[in-house]
Amino acid sequence: MIKLGNHAIPPWTWSFLSAVIVLVLTYMVSGRGGMQTITLAFTVAPYLVLVGLGQMLVMSAGPGNIDVSVAKVFSLGGLVAIAVGDVTGSWVLGLGAAVGAGLAMASISIIAILYVRIPPIVATLATSLIASAISLTLAKGFQGSADPLLKGFLSWAPFGIPAFAIVVLIFTILVSMTLKWTTWGSQMLAFGQARRAAEYAGVSAKKTMVIVYLTCGVLAALAGALRASFSAPNVELGNDYLLDSIAVVVIGGTLMTGGRAVPAGVWGGALFFILLDGLLNLIGWSFAGQNVLKGFLVLAVLFLAGGAPILRRRVPSSVTDAAKGEENAEPEIKTLT
Amino acid sequence: MCPRQRWRGPFLQNGDIAVVLTKTISKTNTAAREPLVQVRRVVKTYGPTKALSGVTLDVHAGEVFGVVGHNGAGKSTLMRVLSGLDGVDSGSVQIGGATRPSGRGFPGVRMAYQEGSLAQELTVYENIYLSSKNWIADRRWHGAASRRAAARLDEIFPDHAIKPADYVDDLTLADRQMVEISRATIADDLSVLILDEPTESLSGSAVDHLYDYVRKLRSSNHAIILVSHRLKEILSVCDRVVVMKDGAVVSTHAAASVTEQDLFLAMGGEVVIEKPVQGTSQAATDSARPISIKVPMATVDGAATQIVAHKGEVIGLAGIAGQGQEKVLDRLWRRNGDVQVSAALAYVPGDRQRSGILPIWDVARNLTITALPSLGKNGIRQVDKENALVTKWVDQLKIRGGSSAAITGLSGGNQQKVIVARAFASDADTILLDDPFRGVDVHTKVELYQLIKSEARKGRTIVWYSSENSEMQHCDRAYVLRADRIAGELHGTDITDERIISLSFVEARGS
Amino acid sequence: MVSTAILEKFRFNLPKGLARRVLPGFLTLIAMVMILLICGAMQPRIWSQNGLTLIMSPIVALAIASMAQMVMMSIGDIDLGIGFFVGMITTIVATLLRETPILGVLALAGSVLAYALLGALVQLRSVPSLIATLGASFVWLGMGLFVLPVPGGSAPDWLFAYAFWQPPLSIPAPLVTMVVATALTWFVTRRTALGVRFRSLGSNPVALMRSGGSLVVTRMLAYGTVGLLGVLAGITLTAEIGGGDVNAVPGYTLTTVAAVILGGGMFTGGRAVAWGTLAGAVTLGLLTVLLTLLSLSSNLQPAVQGFIVIGVLAGRLVVERMTR
Repeated sequence: MIKLGNHAIPPWTWSFLSAVIVLVLTYMVSGRGGMQTITLAFTVAPYLVLVGLGQMLVMSAGPGNIDVSVAKVFSLGGLVAIAVGDVTGSWVLGLGAAVGAGLAMASISIIAILYVRIPPIVATLATSLIASAISLTLAKGFQGSADPLLKGFLSWAPFGIPAFAIVVLIFTILVSMTLKWTTWGSQMLAFGQARRAAEYAGVSAKKTMVIVYLTCGVLAALAGALRASFSAPNVELGNDYLLDSIAVVVIGGTLMTGGRAVPAGVWGGALFFILLDGLLNLIGWSFAGQNVLKGFLVLAVLFLAGGAPILRRRVPSSVTDAAKGEENAEPEIKTLT
Repeated sequence: MCPRQRWRGPFLQNGDIAVVLTKTISKTNTAAREPLVQVRRVVKTYGPTKALSGVTLDVHAGEVFGVVGHNGAGKSTLMRVLSGLDGVDSGSVQIGGATRPSGRGFPGVRMAYQEGSLAQELTVYENIYLSSKNWIADRRWHGAASRRAAARLDEIFPDHAIKPADYVDDLTLADRQMVEISRATIADDLSVLILDEPTESLSGSAVDHLYDYVRKLRSSNHAIILVSHRLKEILSVCDRVVVMKDGAVVSTHAAASVTEQDLFLAMGGEVVIEKPVQGTSQAATDSARPISIKVPMATVDGAATQIVAHKGEVIGLAGIAGQGQEKVLDRLWRRNGDVQVSAALAYVPGDRQRSGILPIWDVARNLTITALPSLGKNGIRQVDKENALVTKWVDQLKIRGGSSAAITGLSGGNQQKVIVARAFASDADTILLDDPFRGVDVHTKVELYQLIKSEARKGRTIVWYSSENSEMQHCDRAYVLRADRIAGELHGTDITDERIISLSFVEARGS
Repeated sequence: MVSTAILEKFRFNLPKGLARRVLPGFLTLIAMVMILLICGAMQPRIWSQNGLTLIMSPIVALAIASMAQMVMMSIGDIDLGIGFFVGMITTIVATLLRETPILGVLALAGSVLAYALLGALVQLRSVPSLIATLGASFVWLGMGLFVLPVPGGSAPDWLFAYAFWQPPLSIPAPLVTMVVATALTWFVTRRTALGVRFRSLGSNPVALMRSGGSLVVTRMLAYGTVGLLGVLAGITLTAEIGGGDVNAVPGYTLTTVAAVILGGGMFTGGRAVAWGTLAGAVTLGLLTVLLTLLSLSSNLQPAVQGFIVIGVLAGRLVVERMTR
């Protein structure tokens, strides 16, 4: 947080500021203002926000925590929801099935992380492979389409403001409140900023990890189910969501080393990304240029933010700490048993 | 396995070695010769702690120079300065003509570290090559490094069983130590060899072999600096010994003319022959209060005993750092199957930076984290209760900066107050203290000692490990640990610096 | 006398810890041979130079990309961008390198340099390697699309010549390429001073620092090596698919990690297992062939890979618990 006078600027400011700048640029380039651009952005953004919120929780749980299965779980959620919804005729059951699929996939990750002691990155990679296989099998000869009622709701935008965006906004506020006003939220953030300190202060590693990964899995699957209901289910529907979810979380001001979660920033980051896509399309930049720009943006944010190692890489902060580090390394491993 | 019995130094059994040593000294320490290592009024501080407060000493070529001292005497810091890892704040260090270390330390100075300087996933010869590249031919270095490693290991430890292609990860601690020592000696320009507790994990014959090699190096005009807690070894192999205390050299002795007890005295110990504990019978009698923790242990003689703490007692774990005190705390904290411990525990870690503070948060949130679940209602935080708790503790401990200051902006002492308050603010009935007052200013310490005593009076049980002996006088009872075993138990006013130091060096009877 | 004693020791005892390091790769090798035998039993036509070339050529690029991932993991990092990087290289090879070789070579050299800079970013700013490589993968994807918006282009003629190369003695050409690439990687990581520095960076950076090595330079060199191997993987992939496509192999990112794990690699760094990784990559490649021959849906392939990774690591944990 940068202090300006006596007022601290909240960390999500920058992402919103960037989003607004892009919006203004869009208006200037297109030569006309209006709600249309905003409506469009708010129609597409909520899905990315949902995935981003899950990823934010995971990344806030400390260095090394990341869920790379969100893309495949997203696609799986979409396929499961539409398939079940089609068979049973109830979109509620469809969404429920997607939530179940998300829970199941996240459980695989959790078991691998806590009991097989696989680093989160590889555990979620494996989950991602499994989810992808299920999606591919489901998608073969897939027929079925979204419930018109749900689809109608997702594209319903009274006064140019998508209703679904409001729902996700309320959910974001709920996440924010959970982090701030519940015991678990505080413990999770404590765990994320200093794992050993938090454990000595009585925070349970297991409880923290289980909740963040399950939430992330469920949110990815649910976002996929809704996204599939909005357009159409597809095995590759989620592909962009892995990189984008991590990018919007980092851009939104969440510390990639953990301990500070900024739910509002996820909105800022998502809107920024989506408006940027629109702007670049408008000025004729190809998909290629958009990706290069996004990539450099992420790297620039990394460069500016810096941080601590993620894979338990034993980088000594100074030689003085080195000897100490040796004796400290061990209990850290023990905590996972 | 009894590590206490493995060293039988020639010193006590062999009277005439003293004569030999005296001769060596008189031969090499002629005033005409310029000392190889000259340390002048070196001062080094880490934050608020003054690790070295004006150390002056000389080490000559062809001399084995012993350094002894209790915890925090400044030995490690001095070695780091000599090996060139750390600079000095004031004063000067001159080694073989160089006054300033290069990127790789002072030329010709090599140090065998206690741990941490071998890459575990590399083989022995690869580790040797990594640290002695300059003296191994680049072409066909595999063979060259293997031969150097094997030859040196054979030379120092003739009956070792280490192959150069062994992976360090799979070696025993003793083998790793042998590799580490050999690694340090492989340098063509070697003039000063620093050995930091080299025998802590070596077996008896390996220790003899090492000191034979040290004597051989001495005769080839190298200087050897030996840091060890094992006074017998120091006396048998060194020419001169300095005793350090509180970051300064308190005395220098010719090894031939001092005894272990002289060194004790110089370190601040008291010449008492301590009786090792005989079990727990006497401990249990002092208190009719219920027992809140029990940890099965062994005495230095191998007899079974236990650490017991009653409700409302302050129990100390003393002795040289790293002799198993933290293991006892760890067994309690992780509630190992063999320990008995009360329901609610809180832990005060000693390493503030790594396992104490929550760096992003302010004082208030750092202080309440342990107490949160018990303050909250149905998992929802009760902020008014939290604030009341924070106000109470910030006032009681006079935490500077107040409740909304960033924790990282506080001084070490104030950070430590917050971390101590965190534990005491919880509803835990047993509090474990893991040497929490290292590097904390005296004023803060006194306040925290008061806190510990008053909390114990309220019925809490405190288990307190400290590397600072004088702190232990605030305990009701203290156990002195030596090599994971109990060397003695002290009560009340018996808990003095001197008695702890004496007990710290207790060896098993029969050695 | 001493030296003969050493020789005796050398000859008759395996170095401590060697078995634990070689065993995982060896088991994978056995699995590979078994899969190959089963495939051969089901489809005898693969027992010919052509047959073997046919089933192995899709694996070459995967094997080399796995070498890249192996180098990355030996310094304790993970590369989540290797799939798009290899894809980007194919687009460069299929266009620039074919049309203006000098520009093409410069572009490839630039890619390697970019990797080295990424290494500097990771070291100097203590950025998590996986987020940095993930960020970089946007760049690789974008660059690849920029060069070739849709799959196309064509491999340079010399690369076509390579694709149709039939080595003497009925040795399948892909096998030659894979073995040569693996041998080179093995040599660099296990037999050179540079390799010692890489592994020491992964295993214990303090040891590297105390010996006077620079962490930044070492990490940059390691990343540069990863880039170089990525370029090689891209070139062989171009030969295989005959053109360029940035989206050809996004799955490599995951598969290469699996291959290294199968080969005995570790996440905590320090271990370089080139031959094991080769066995791992070939096993994973042959698995596809086997699933096809079993007429099982190739859709199941990823799940099989996923369960293999978890299974292998769980098995290793059990073995380590029992032996220690």
